[in-house]
Amino acid sequence: MTKPKTREMPRPDISLTSALGLPAVYVKDARKSFGDKEVLRDVSLSIKQGEVVSLIGPSGAGKSTLLRCLTLLDTFDSGELAYGNVRVCANVPGESRTTYDKEAERQARMRFGIVFQNYNLFPHYTVLKNVMDAPIVVQKRDPKEVEEQARKLLERLDIADHADKVPDQLSGGQQQRVAIARALCMNPQVIYFDEATSALDPKLTQDMHRLIRELAHDGMAVGIVTHEMGFARDVSDRIAFLFDGQIVEEGTPDEVIGNPSDPRTKAFLANAED
Amino acid sequence: MTGMLLNGYVVSLQIFALTLIGAIPLGVLVALGRLSRFKPLSWLVGLYISLMRGTPLMLQMFAVFFIPYYLFGQQTGPDYMFVAVMIAFIVNYAAYFAEIYRSGIQSMPRGQYEAAQVLGYSRTQRFFRIILPQVFKRILPAMGNEIVTLVKDTSLAFSIGIAEMFTTSRALVASQRSMVPFAIAALIYWITCLVIEFVLRRIEKRMDYYHD
Ligand SMILES: Nc1ncnc2c1ncn2[C@@H]1O[C@H](COP(=O)(O)OP(=O)(O)OP(=O)(O)O)[C@@H](O)[C@H]1O
Ligand SMILES: [Mg+2]
Repeated sequence: MTKPKTREMPRPDISLTSALGLPAVYVKDARKSFGDKEVLRDVSLSIKQGEVVSLIGPSGAGKSTLLRCLTLLDTFDSGELAYGNVRVCANVPGESRTTYDKEAERQARMRFGIVFQNYNLFPHYTVLKNVMDAPIVVQKRDPKEVEEQARKLLERLDIADHADKVPDQLSGGQQQRVAIARALCMNPQVIYFDEATSALDPKLTQDMHRLIRELAHDGMAVGIVTHEMGFARDVSDRIAFLFDGQIVEEGTPDEVIGNPSDPRTKAFLANAED
Repeated sequence: MTGMLLNGYVVSLQIFALTLIGAIPLGVLVALGRLSRFKPLSWLVGLYISLMRGTPLMLQMFAVFFIPYYLFGQQTGPDYMFVAVMIAFIVNYAAYFAEIYRSGIQSMPRGQYEAAQVLGYSRTQRFFRIILPQVFKRILPAMGNEIVTLVKDTSLAFSIGIAEMFTTSRALVASQRSMVPFAIAALIYWITCLVIEFVLRRIEKRMDYYHD
């Protein structure tokens, strides 16, 4: 007897991914050009569950481009990208470009969230609706359950009092926390931050540091793009230094920032100090 | 006399309301066609918009009215007069509205699309839940201008013999040898516009709960 197979809604399966020993996100030999300008050249990088990885590098190095490709807002020209056991794109022999799998893209989208540099909250929705809308509309979850989770997240991020306001009534730091709640309410396995702390005062930076460590402690993989070396050093388990589209150095904060070996890293860090 | 004028006024209001009901949603489709990445569709829709905006509405009305006769040699019944007016008005105003929508859609920051895409919204959900509601707020002032113009444009139906308010006022002026019916009609058009402007301002206020 064969029953037709029903497809289950993709649910975050942190246990499966880690049981298989797969990284939460995995990029291999990724390349990307704009016209004849090579912006990413053979970038390989992965983040495990519970790990915080920061991407640093000078302006124009390709950090944003890499983040856009990781979040499927843009595509790699060649290389491989996987979220846990979901392989989003891979090189197929005989094809010059890497091949994206639509269904895998859809599943992968449920596995990562991003906090944009300018947050990109939906201005016409209240804070609560910003957080609840996608889980209900996209993931088709029970509104009651989603609201419960959303309110807990707002509580945790210290913005529960603002649940019924619209984003433009909030400060930048508060908006960023709404954006974090919005990403977390989708139960992702990976969360990316574009410029996590550039808009924050020292106190909020410290809060952000604690939050990111908590998320990692709960098993989330965290990817950060930042220009702030101090923050990257304190919060990260690993740091990758991107220069001219290549990762020229990668290691623990103490290795990469404390004791860089590549001359390009040294020069960048010397400049970054002032 | 007022009774006749009011009958005409009801017809004017019908043209006004039906045009809005038809053209507001149709304009969304037209704008989407204009913005389509499928170039032949975008060009075709662009041609239609250009034609609608570049020729008089009165001429378009006549075209719609006479086309069945010239094309199919068909005599059209008297009911068709009103239908022809409505087709012409809706198709004409949809073109104007579409241009307003298009500029509104194009003014939306890319980040709104990207945030929605990352959250997994489909293209349709993205457009109708995230983009369009914000676009409506942005274009309300421009739409208001068009809608007030529409009140006055309803008098163009006179040329095809629809008994709307201008037609009836003109008949009254002729039979009574007095300009008073015109004055009353003018007053009614004016008051209508004032009421509409008031309603639009209320809607603008309602949508003013956020700024972007
Ligand atoms: N859409 C695009 N079209 C053409 N070139 C682009 C595009 N996006 C980025 N680039 C180029 O790719 C290179 C890498 O840009 P990217 O924005 O990824 O750098 P970055 O490391 O994020 O810099 P920053 O620290 O200033 O944000 C730059 O030379 C940039 O000019
Ligand atoms: Mg950047």
